[in-house]
Amino acid sequence: MRRDEGFFESIQVGDEVPALTKKPTYMQLFMFSAATWNRHLIHYNTEFARHDGLKDVATHRALMGNFLAQMLSEWAGEAGRVSKVEWSVRGGAFPGDVLTCRGKVVQKSVEGKQKKVVCEIWVEKEDGNIIAPGKGEVTLFS
Amino acid sequence: MEDIPDEAKAMIGGERVNVYEITKKDIRRFAQATGDKNPLYVDEEFAKKTRYGRIIAPPLFCHAFAFEDVPAEDLREDGLPVEIDVPLPVKRAIGGASSFEVGEPISPGDSITVTKKIIDIYTKKGKTGKLYFIVIDTVYRNQKGDMVAREKATYIQR
Repeated sequence: MRRDEGFFESIQVGDEVPALTKKPTYMQLFMFSAATWNRHLIHYNTEFARHDGLKDVATHRALMGNFLAQMLSEWAGEAGRVSKVEWSVRGGAFPGDVLTCRGKVVQKSVEGKQKKVVCEIWVEKEDGNIIAPGKGEVTLFS
Repeated sequence: MEDIPDEAKAMIGGERVNVYEITKKDIRRFAQATGDKNPLYVDEEFAKKTRYGRIIAPPLFCHAFAFEDVPAEDLREDGLPVEIDVPLPVKRAIGGASSFEVGEPISPGDSITVTKKIIDIYTKKGKTGKLYFIVIDTVYRNQKGDMVAREKATYIQR
């Protein structure tokens, strides 16, 4: 995580971002509901979630985005800062699922003093099914 | 747009504004809730030695203020956030998407003004019937007027 000097130069288009594995639990989903004051029952009441057609309580869209942001942030370390995260949720994730956040560098750019790295990012389940594809951008400190 | 009830259409463009004072506790709880153990978010001594010189919040911390803290009795029975409680002929919220821009860093003591509005409501045909999309634009600014975050979130209901 401690890479600042030469981080931008060391990166090549096509490089993989170190993966981040997350295992959402009932407690985590409750904590995220509380921290965001999201009181929608589908995130902490299994009976309601099932009645709503879900397998169990659902991982929040926003929590998946935070997982992706954490992956990018740990990768950039002290060399830069996450400046943009885009993602769309295509499938559900439930307590007990093992989610892996991954990314791949698709573009490096320099505009004046500003250096940026754009990555394709996604959350996948154990079976390899991608449930949240997106795009992330890290801006390097100049 | 012709598929959208008039009462729903009337909600487009209406702004909701809220102000929140940021504490160390807010940041710590958010970091714990997302399972992010970076000491920069919680450890003052550690943070002092970084380029920021102080505790800062995780990149998507503004999600902590994405949903308004209205009293429980103002929520629908299923607890659906008021922001997306739009009169549409649908019952269930599914998936969604987001485009989140991160601006100036946020630290304890900051005062964040949250300005949010529905910018679009539209429909599309899905596999199991009509889907309704609600697009909410939320801008977060600190006490100096600097943008700290902006999110365009799309919620899907069916």
